[in-house]
Amino acid sequence: MSKPSVLKIKVVTGDIRPIFKQIIDGIRLEIATEKLSPGSKLPSYRGLAMQLMINPNTVAKAYAELSKQGLIESKKGLGLFVSENRQSLSDDEREQKLAKAVTVFINETVHLNYSDDEIVEVIKNKLKEIKTT
Amino acid sequence: MSDFCISTKNLTKQFGKKLALNNLTLNIPQGGIHAIVGSNGAGKSTLFRLLLGFDTPTSGSCTLLGEQSDQLSARVRGRVGYVNEEHTLPGWMKVAAVKELQQSFYPNWNHDIYNKVIAYFDVDPKQKVAGLSRGERAGFNLSMALAQRPSLLILDEPTLGLDVVARQSFLEALMFAETEEVMTTIYCSHQMEEIERIAEQLIIMEKGRLINNSTPDDFCARVSCWVADWDAIGSILRNKNVDIPGFLSHREIDGQQHILVVDQGDDFGGFLQKQGAHDIAQLPVNLERAVNAFLTANHNKPVAL
Repeated sequence: MSKPSVLKIKVVTGDIRPIFKQIIDGIRLEIATEKLSPGSKLPSYRGLAMQLMINPNTVAKAYAELSKQGLIESKKGLGLFVSENRQSLSDDEREQKLAKAVTVFINETVHLNYSDDEIVEVIKNKLKEIKTT
Repeated sequence: MSDFCISTKNLTKQFGKKLALNNLTLNIPQGGIHAIVGSNGAGKSTLFRLLLGFDTPTSGSCTLLGEQSDQLSARVRGRVGYVNEEHTLPGWMKVAAVKELQQSFYPNWNHDIYNKVIAYFDVDPKQKVAGLSRGERAGFNLSMALAQRPSLLILDEPTLGLDVVARQSFLEALMFAETEEVMTTIYCSHQMEEIERIAEQLIIMEKGRLINNSTPDDFCARVSCWVADWDAIGSILRNKNVDIPGFLSHREIDGQQHILVVDQGDDFGGFLQKQGAHDIAQLPVNLERAVNAFLTANHNKPVAL
Protein backbone atom coordinates (compact mmCIF):
# COMPACT_ATOMS: atom_id res chain seq x y z
CA MET A 1 0.00 0.00 0.00
CA SER A 2 1.33 3.44 -0.90
CA LYS A 3 2.38 5.73 1.89
CA PRO A 4 0.47 8.94 2.47
CA SER A 5 1.98 12.32 1.58
CA VAL A 6 3.39 14.40 4.37
CA LEU A 7 1.14 17.35 5.08
CA LYS A 8 3.14 20.39 6.04
CA ILE A 9 0.29 22.12 7.77
CA LYS A 10 0.16 23.61 11.22
CA VAL A 11 -2.61 24.30 13.66
CA VAL A 12 -2.47 26.71 16.55
CA THR A 13 -4.67 27.02 19.59
CA GLY A 14 -6.00 30.42 20.58
CA ASP A 15 -6.76 31.29 16.95
CA ILE A 16 -10.14 32.72 15.99
CA ARG A 17 -10.52 29.87 13.50
CA PRO A 18 -11.45 26.52 15.04
CA ILE A 19 -8.88 23.78 14.49
CA PHE A 20 -10.93 21.89 11.89
CA LYS A 21 -11.18 25.11 9.86
CA GLN A 22 -7.41 25.58 10.09
CA ILE A 23 -6.92 22.08 8.68
CA ILE A 24 -9.32 22.77 5.80
CA ASP A 25 -7.55 26.04 4.95
CA GLY A 26 -4.15 24.37 5.23
CA ILE A 27 -4.99 21.47 2.92
CA ARG A 28 -6.74 23.75 0.41
CA LEU A 29 -3.62 25.86 0.22
CA GLU A 30 -1.43 22.78 -0.26
CA ILE A 31 -3.65 21.71 -3.15
CA ALA A 32 -3.88 25.19 -4.69
CA THR A 33 -0.09 25.62 -4.61
CA GLU A 34 0.33 22.08 -5.97
CA LYS A 35 2.42 20.88 -3.07
CA LEU A 36 -0.24 18.20 -2.98
CA SER A 37 -0.89 16.93 -6.49
CA PRO A 38 -4.07 15.23 -7.72
CA GLY A 39 -4.07 11.57 -6.73
CA SER A 40 -1.82 12.00 -3.67
CA LYS A 41 -2.81 10.01 -0.65
CA LEU A 42 -3.74 11.89 2.50
CA PRO A 43 -2.67 10.83 6.00
CA SER A 44 -5.19 8.78 8.01
CA TYR A 45 -7.40 10.50 10.60
CA ARG A 46 -5.27 9.05 13.32
CA GLY A 47 -1.99 9.84 11.57
CA LEU A 48 -2.77 13.50 11.04
CA ALA A 49 -4.30 13.77 14.53
CA MET A 50 -1.09 12.40 16.05
CA GLN A 51 1.02 14.76 13.97
CA LEU A 52 -1.03 17.78 15.08
CA MET A 53 -1.80 16.48 18.62
CA ILE A 54 -5.53 16.85 18.25
CA ASN A 55 -8.63 14.67 18.51
CA PRO A 56 -8.93 12.31 15.48
CA ASN A 57 -12.60 13.27 15.17
CA THR A 58 -11.54 16.84 14.40
CA VAL A 59 -9.51 15.56 11.44
CA ALA A 60 -12.51 13.49 10.35
CA LYS A 61 -14.66 16.61 10.42
CA ALA A 62 -12.18 18.56 8.28
CA TYR A 63 -11.84 15.67 5.77
CA ALA A 64 -15.63 15.37 5.55
CA GLU A 65 -15.90 19.05 4.66
CA LEU A 66 -13.14 18.76 2.03
CA SER A 67 -14.90 15.72 0.52
CA LYS A 68 -18.12 17.69 0.36
CA GLN A 69 -16.30 20.43 -1.52
CA GLY A 70 -14.98 17.78 -3.92
CA LEU A 71 -11.33 18.49 -3.19
CA ILE A 72 -10.63 15.02 -1.84
CA GLU A 73 -12.28 11.67 -2.35
CA SER A 74 -12.20 8.33 -0.60
CA LYS A 75 -11.36 5.11 -2.38
CA LYS A 76 -12.86 2.14 -0.66
CA GLY A 77 -10.34 0.34 1.51
CA LEU A 78 -7.46 2.48 0.28
CA GLY A 79 -7.92 5.77 2.06
CA LEU A 80 -8.42 9.38 1.06
CA PHE A 81 -6.91 11.02 -2.00
CA VAL A 82 -6.72 14.45 -3.58
CA SER A 83 -9.36 14.43 -6.33
CA GLU A 84 -8.19 13.99 -9.91
CA ASN A 85 -11.03 15.89 -11.48
CA ARG A 86 -12.31 18.42 -9.08
CA GLN A 87 -16.01 18.74 -8.83
CA SER A 88 -17.05 22.10 -10.30
CA LEU A 89 -18.79 24.60 -8.08
CA SER A 90 -22.41 25.51 -8.63
CA ASP A 91 -23.15 28.67 -10.66
CA ASP A 92 -24.18 30.49 -7.50
CA GLU A 93 -20.98 29.58 -5.71
CA ARG A 94 -18.86 30.63 -8.68
CA GLU A 95 -20.63 33.98 -8.86
CA GLN A 96 -20.16 34.56 -5.14
CA LYS A 97 -16.48 33.68 -5.23
CA LEU A 98 -15.85 35.94 -8.20
CA ALA A 99 -17.71 38.84 -6.62
CA LYS A 100 -15.72 38.45 -3.40
CA ALA A 101 -12.38 38.34 -5.21
CA VAL A 102 -13.30 41.38 -7.34
CA THR A 103 -14.23 43.38 -4.25
CA VAL A 104 -10.84 42.68 -2.68
CA PHE A 105 -9.11 43.53 -5.97
CA ILE A 106 -10.96 46.83 -6.37
CA ASN A 107 -10.25 47.86 -2.79
CA GLU A 108 -6.56 47.34 -3.43
CA THR A 109 -6.39 49.14 -6.77
CA VAL A 110 -8.94 51.96 -6.74
CA HIS A 111 -6.59 54.43 -5.06
CA LEU A 112 -3.73 53.85 -7.50
CA ASN A 113 -5.06 56.30 -10.11
CA TYR A 114 -5.18 54.00 -13.12
CA SER A 115 -7.92 54.40 -15.69
CA ASP A 116 -10.54 51.63 -15.96
CA ASP A 117 -9.19 50.64 -19.36
CA GLU A 118 -5.66 50.36 -18.07
CA ILE A 119 -6.74 48.07 -15.24
CA VAL A 120 -8.80 45.86 -17.56
CA GLU A 121 -5.85 45.64 -19.93
CA VAL A 122 -3.52 44.44 -17.16
CA ILE A 123 -5.99 41.76 -16.11
CA LYS A 124 -6.47 40.56 -19.67
CA ASN A 125 -2.72 40.25 -20.19
CA LYS A 126 -2.28 38.39 -16.94
CA LEU A 127 -5.03 35.90 -17.82
CA LYS A 128 -3.49 35.36 -21.24
CA GLU A 129 -0.13 34.70 -19.62
CA ILE A 130 -1.58 32.04 -17.28
CA LYS A 131 -3.34 30.27 -20.16
CA THR A 132 -0.28 30.10 -22.42
CA THR A 133 2.08 28.72 -19.78
CA MET B 1 -32.11 1.89 29.45
CA SER B 2 -31.50 5.48 28.45
CA ASP B 3 -29.19 6.46 25.59
CA PHE B 4 -27.44 8.92 27.83
CA CYS B 5 -24.24 8.11 29.59
CA ILE B 6 -25.01 10.72 32.21
CA SER B 7 -28.38 12.30 32.81
CA THR B 8 -29.43 14.65 35.57
CA LYS B 9 -32.84 16.13 36.14
CA ASN B 10 -33.38 19.28 38.24
CA LEU B 11 -30.44 18.17 40.34
CA THR B 12 -29.94 20.36 43.40
CA LYS B 13 -27.46 20.06 46.23
CA GLN B 14 -27.35 22.49 49.09
CA PHE B 15 -24.56 22.87 51.66
CA GLY B 16 -25.91 25.15 54.38
CA LYS B 17 -26.94 28.32 52.60
CA LYS B 18 -24.84 27.62 49.53
CA LEU B 19 -26.31 25.97 46.46
CA ALA B 20 -23.56 23.78 45.03
CA LEU B 21 -25.87 22.53 42.28
CA ASN B 22 -28.84 24.59 41.26
CA ASN B 23 -31.57 22.75 39.38
CA LEU B 24 -29.07 21.20 36.99
CA THR B 25 -30.47 19.31 34.03
CA LEU B 26 -27.69 17.85 31.93
CA ASN B 27 -27.69 15.04 29.38
CA ILE B 28 -24.45 13.63 28.05
CA PRO B 29 -24.79 11.13 25.19
CA GLN B 30 -22.51 8.12 24.87
CA GLY B 31 -19.16 8.40 23.15
CA GLY B 32 -16.76 11.25 22.56
CA ILE B 33 -14.76 13.56 24.75
CA HIS B 34 -16.84 16.07 26.70
CA ALA B 35 -14.98 18.88 28.43
CA ILE B 36 -16.46 20.44 31.54
CA VAL B 37 -15.31 23.94 32.34
CA GLY B 38 -16.29 26.09 35.28
CA SER B 39 -14.72 28.40 37.81
CA ASN B 40 -13.66 26.90 41.12
CA GLY B 41 -16.81 26.14 43.06
CA ALA B 42 -18.99 25.82 39.96
CA GLY B 43 -20.19 22.44 41.22
CA LYS B 44 -18.15 20.03 39.08
CA SER B 45 -16.84 17.89 41.93
CA THR B 46 -20.22 17.87 43.66
CA LEU B 47 -21.76 16.69 40.40
CA PHE B 48 -19.34 13.74 40.23
CA ARG B 49 -19.92 12.84 43.87
CA LEU B 50 -23.67 12.72 43.28
CA LEU B 51 -23.33 10.83 40.02
CA LEU B 52 -21.16 8.18 41.63
CA GLY B 53 -23.53 7.88 44.58
CA PHE B 54 -21.05 9.14 47.22
CA ASP B 55 -23.52 11.78 48.27
CA THR B 56 -27.27 12.26 47.96
CA PRO B 57 -28.94 15.21 46.24
CA THR B 58 -31.10 17.69 48.14
CA SER B 59 -33.63 17.28 45.34
CA GLY B 60 -33.78 16.07 41.77
CA SER B 61 -32.25 12.90 40.37
CA CYS B 62 -29.40 11.61 38.29
CA THR B 63 -28.51 8.46 36.41
CA LEU B 64 -25.18 6.99 35.40
CA LEU B 65 -25.01 4.50 32.51
CA GLY B 66 -28.75 4.01 32.83
CA GLU B 67 -28.90 3.34 36.58
CA GLN B 68 -30.07 5.65 39.37
CA SER B 69 -26.96 7.06 41.03
CA ASP B 70 -28.09 6.17 44.55
CA GLN B 71 -28.58 2.51 43.60
CA LEU B 72 -25.60 1.74 41.40
CA SER B 73 -24.87 -1.95 40.95
CA ALA B 74 -21.34 -3.30 41.24
CA ARG B 75 -21.50 -4.04 37.53
CA VAL B 76 -22.07 -0.39 36.58
CA ARG B 77 -19.49 0.82 39.10
CA GLY B 78 -17.00 -1.47 37.42
CA ARG B 79 -17.63 0.31 34.13
CA VAL B 80 -16.52 3.71 35.43
CA GLY B 81 -12.90 4.84 35.38
CA TYR B 82 -11.75 7.81 37.41
CA VAL B 83 -8.54 9.83 37.45
CA ASN B 84 -8.28 12.85 39.70
CA GLU B 85 -5.82 15.68 40.00
CA GLU B 86 -4.12 14.36 43.12
CA HIS B 87 -3.26 10.97 41.60
CA THR B 88 -3.51 9.53 45.10
CA LEU B 89 -2.14 6.02 45.37
CA PRO B 90 -0.66 4.13 48.33
CA GLY B 91 2.94 5.32 48.39
CA TRP B 92 4.35 2.32 50.23
CA MET B 93 3.19 -0.18 47.59
CA LYS B 94 5.11 -1.20 44.53
CA VAL B 95 3.70 -0.30 41.12
CA ALA B 96 3.17 -3.97 40.18
CA ALA B 97 1.28 -4.65 43.43
CA VAL B 98 -1.04 -1.67 42.98
CA LYS B 99 -1.72 -2.77 39.43
CA GLU B 100 -2.54 -6.32 40.52
CA LEU B 101 -4.85 -5.07 43.24
CA GLN B 102 -6.68 -2.84 40.79
CA GLN B 103 -6.85 -5.61 38.19
CA SER B 104 -8.55 -7.93 40.69
CA PHE B 105 -11.46 -5.47 41.04
CA TYR B 106 -12.19 -5.13 37.34
CA PRO B 107 -13.38 -8.14 35.34
CA ASN B 108 -12.95 -6.35 31.99
CA TRP B 109 -9.27 -5.66 32.64
CA ASN B 110 -7.19 -5.77 29.46
CA HIS B 111 -3.49 -6.21 29.96
CA ASP B 112 -2.64 -5.23 26.40
CA ILE B 113 -4.14 -1.80 26.89
CA TYR B 114 -2.32 -1.38 30.19
CA ASN B 115 1.01 -2.16 28.54
CA LYS B 116 0.38 0.13 25.59
CA VAL B 117 -0.57 3.09 27.76
CA ILE B 118 2.11 2.64 30.41
CA ALA B 119 4.68 2.56 27.58
CA TYR B 120 4.12 6.30 27.14
CA PHE B 121 5.56 6.79 30.62
CA ASP B 122 8.77 5.75 32.28
CA VAL B 123 7.35 3.62 35.07
CA ASP B 124 9.26 0.63 36.48
CA PRO B 125 6.92 -2.03 37.97
CA LYS B 126 9.40 -2.73 40.78
CA GLN B 127 9.42 0.91 41.88
CA LYS B 128 7.50 2.10 44.92
CA VAL B 129 4.64 4.47 44.15
CA ALA B 130 6.16 7.07 46.48
CA GLY B 131 9.18 7.25 44.18
CA LEU B 132 7.17 8.17 41.08
CA SER B 133 7.03 11.74 39.83
CA ARG B 134 3.67 13.47 39.54
CA GLY B 135 3.65 12.90 35.78
CA GLU B 136 4.48 9.22 36.19
CA ARG B 137 1.72 8.82 38.78
CA ALA B 138 -0.72 10.48 36.36
CA GLY B 139 0.38 8.09 33.62
CA PHE B 140 0.12 5.07 35.91
CA ASN B 141 -3.37 6.11 36.96
CA LEU B 142 -4.46 6.64 33.35
CA SER B 143 -3.03 3.25 32.33
CA MET B 144 -5.03 1.52 35.05
CA ALA B 145 -8.20 3.48 34.24
CA LEU B 146 -8.00 2.64 30.52
CA ALA B 147 -7.11 -1.01 31.16
CA GLN B 148 -10.41 -1.37 33.03
CA ARG B 149 -12.03 -0.71 29.63
CA PRO B 150 -14.51 1.70 31.20
CA SER B 151 -17.68 2.82 29.42
CA LEU B 152 -17.28 6.12 31.22
CA LEU B 153 -13.95 7.72 32.04
CA ILE B 154 -13.98 10.73 34.35
CA LEU B 155 -10.84 12.84 34.37
CA ASP B 156 -10.81 15.61 36.95
CA GLU B 157 -8.05 18.06 36.02
CA PRO B 158 -5.65 15.19 35.34
CA THR B 159 -2.85 17.32 33.89
CA LEU B 160 -2.75 19.85 36.72
CA GLY B 161 0.84 20.45 37.78
CA LEU B 162 2.32 18.25 35.04
CA ASP B 163 5.28 19.54 33.02
CA VAL B 164 4.99 19.91 29.23
CA VAL B 165 6.49 16.52 28.47
CA ALA B 166 4.27 14.61 30.91
CA ARG B 167 1.23 16.55 29.72
CA GLN B 168 1.99 15.70 26.10
CA SER B 169 2.38 11.99 26.93
CA PHE B 170 -0.82 12.03 28.93
CA LEU B 171 -2.90 13.55 26.13
CA GLU B 172 -1.29 11.31 23.52
CA ALA B 173 -2.00 8.18 25.57
CA LEU B 174 -5.57 9.33 26.15
CA MET B 175 -6.33 10.06 22.50
CA PHE B 176 -4.30 7.48 20.65
CA ALA B 177 -4.01 4.39 22.82
CA GLU B 178 -6.31 2.00 21.01
CA THR B 179 -9.18 1.09 23.26
CA GLU B 180 -11.67 -0.24 20.67
CA GLU B 181 -14.85 0.03 22.79
CA VAL B 182 -17.18 3.03 22.88
CA MET B 183 -15.97 5.13 25.74
CA THR B 184 -17.39 8.41 26.95
CA THR B 185 -14.78 10.69 28.43
CA ILE B 186 -15.60 13.54 30.77
CA TYR B 187 -12.66 15.89 30.94
CA CYS B 188 -12.54 18.63 33.55
CA SER B 189 -9.86 21.14 32.85
CA HIS B 190 -8.98 24.80 32.97
CA GLN B 191 -6.41 24.46 30.20
CA MET B 192 -8.12 25.98 27.18
CA GLU B 193 -5.33 24.81 24.92
CA GLU B 194 -6.01 21.19 25.87
CA ILE B 195 -9.73 21.67 25.48
CA GLU B 196 -9.33 23.09 22.00
CA ARG B 197 -7.23 20.13 20.97
CA ILE B 198 -9.28 17.30 22.43
CA ALA B 199 -12.87 18.27 23.26
CA GLU B 200 -15.79 17.42 21.00
CA GLN B 201 -18.37 18.91 23.34
CA LEU B 202 -17.99 21.84 25.67
CA ILE B 203 -20.05 21.93 28.85
CA ILE B 204 -19.82 25.11 30.89
CA MET B 205 -21.04 25.26 34.47
CA GLU B 206 -21.40 28.27 36.66
CA LYS B 207 -22.61 28.46 40.23
CA GLY B 208 -24.19 25.03 40.00
CA ARG B 209 -26.04 25.75 36.78
CA LEU B 210 -25.49 24.59 33.21
CA ILE B 211 -24.75 27.53 30.93
CA ASN B 212 -23.55 25.79 27.77
CA ASN B 213 -23.55 22.34 26.19
CA SER B 214 -22.51 22.40 22.52
CA THR B 215 -19.46 21.87 20.32
CA PRO B 216 -16.63 24.30 21.12
CA ASP B 217 -17.04 25.86 17.66
CA ASP B 218 -20.74 26.52 18.11
CA PHE B 219 -20.04 28.00 21.51
CA CYS B 220 -17.36 30.28 20.12
CA ALA B 221 -19.75 31.49 17.42
CA ARG B 222 -22.23 32.60 20.10
CA VAL B 223 -19.84 35.20 21.47
CA SER B 224 -18.83 38.32 19.56
CA CYS B 225 -16.75 41.35 20.35
CA TRP B 226 -17.86 44.81 19.32
CA VAL B 227 -15.55 47.78 19.28
CA ALA B 228 -17.04 51.26 19.26
CA ASP B 229 -16.50 54.82 20.25
CA TRP B 230 -19.18 54.98 22.91
CA ASP B 231 -18.67 57.28 25.86
CA ALA B 232 -22.15 56.66 27.25
CA ILE B 233 -21.35 53.09 28.29
CA GLY B 234 -19.79 54.21 31.57
CA SER B 235 -22.97 55.84 32.81
CA ILE B 236 -25.16 53.05 31.39
CA LEU B 237 -23.26 50.41 33.35
CA ARG B 238 -23.28 52.56 36.50
CA ASN B 239 -26.94 53.54 36.38
CA LYS B 240 -28.21 50.36 34.69
CA ASN B 241 -30.75 52.52 32.86
CA VAL B 242 -30.32 50.75 29.51
CA ASP B 243 -30.36 47.00 29.08
CA ILE B 244 -27.47 45.94 26.82
CA PRO B 245 -28.68 42.71 25.20
CA GLY B 246 -26.44 39.69 25.82
CA PHE B 247 -23.88 41.77 27.71
CA LEU B 248 -20.94 39.76 29.09
CA SER B 249 -18.09 42.12 29.74
CA HIS B 250 -16.51 45.35 28.65
CA ARG B 251 -13.17 47.10 28.77
CA GLU B 252 -11.76 50.32 27.47
CA ILE B 253 -8.65 50.21 25.29
CA ASP B 254 -7.20 53.46 23.90
CA GLY B 255 -10.51 55.24 24.37
CA GLN B 256 -12.40 52.57 22.42
CA GLN B 257 -14.98 50.38 24.13
CA HIS B 258 -14.58 46.64 23.60
CA ILE B 259 -17.84 44.92 24.43
CA LEU B 260 -18.32 41.16 24.56
CA VAL B 261 -21.87 39.94 24.00
CA VAL B 262 -23.54 36.57 23.61
CA ASP B 263 -26.17 35.46 21.09
CA GLN B 264 -26.29 38.80 19.27
CA GLY B 265 -26.48 39.06 15.49
CA ASP B 266 -25.51 41.94 13.25
CA ASP B 267 -28.40 43.95 14.63
CA PHE B 268 -26.36 44.58 17.78
CA GLY B 269 -24.50 47.15 15.65
CA GLY B 270 -27.85 48.89 15.09
CA PHE B 271 -28.47 48.87 18.83
CA LEU B 272 -25.08 50.50 19.48
CA GLN B 273 -25.79 53.14 16.86
CA LYS B 274 -29.14 53.95 18.41
CA GLN B 275 -27.39 54.41 21.74
CA GLY B 276 -25.10 57.01 20.21
CA ALA B 277 -22.03 54.87 19.51
CA HIS B 278 -19.99 55.41 16.37
CA ASP B 279 -17.05 53.81 14.50
CA ILE B 280 -18.60 50.43 15.21
CA ALA B 281 -16.73 47.27 14.24
CA GLN B 282 -17.27 43.61 15.01
CA LEU B 283 -14.35 41.30 15.77
CA PRO B 284 -14.34 37.52 16.06
CA VAL B 285 -13.10 35.98 19.32
CA ASN B 286 -11.18 32.81 20.09
CA LEU B 287 -12.38 30.03 22.36
CA GLU B 288 -10.39 31.06 25.40
CA ARG B 289 -11.72 34.60 25.29
CA ALA B 290 -15.29 33.40 24.78
CA VAL B 291 -15.08 31.06 27.78
CA ASN B 292 -13.41 33.67 29.97
CA ALA B 293 -16.06 36.22 29.09
CA PHE B 294 -18.75 33.76 30.11
CA LEU B 295 -17.10 32.85 33.38
CA THR B 296 -16.23 36.41 34.41
CA ALA B 297 -19.64 37.84 33.48
CA ASN B 298 -21.23 36.82 36.76
CA HIS B 299 -18.14 36.51 38.87
CA ASN B 300 -18.45 38.26 42.20
CA LYS B 301 -16.71 41.62 42.18
CA PRO B 302 -16.15 44.12 44.95
CA VAL B 303 -19.08 46.52 44.83
CA ALA B 304 -16.92 49.61 44.34
CA LEU B 305 -15.75 48.46 40.89
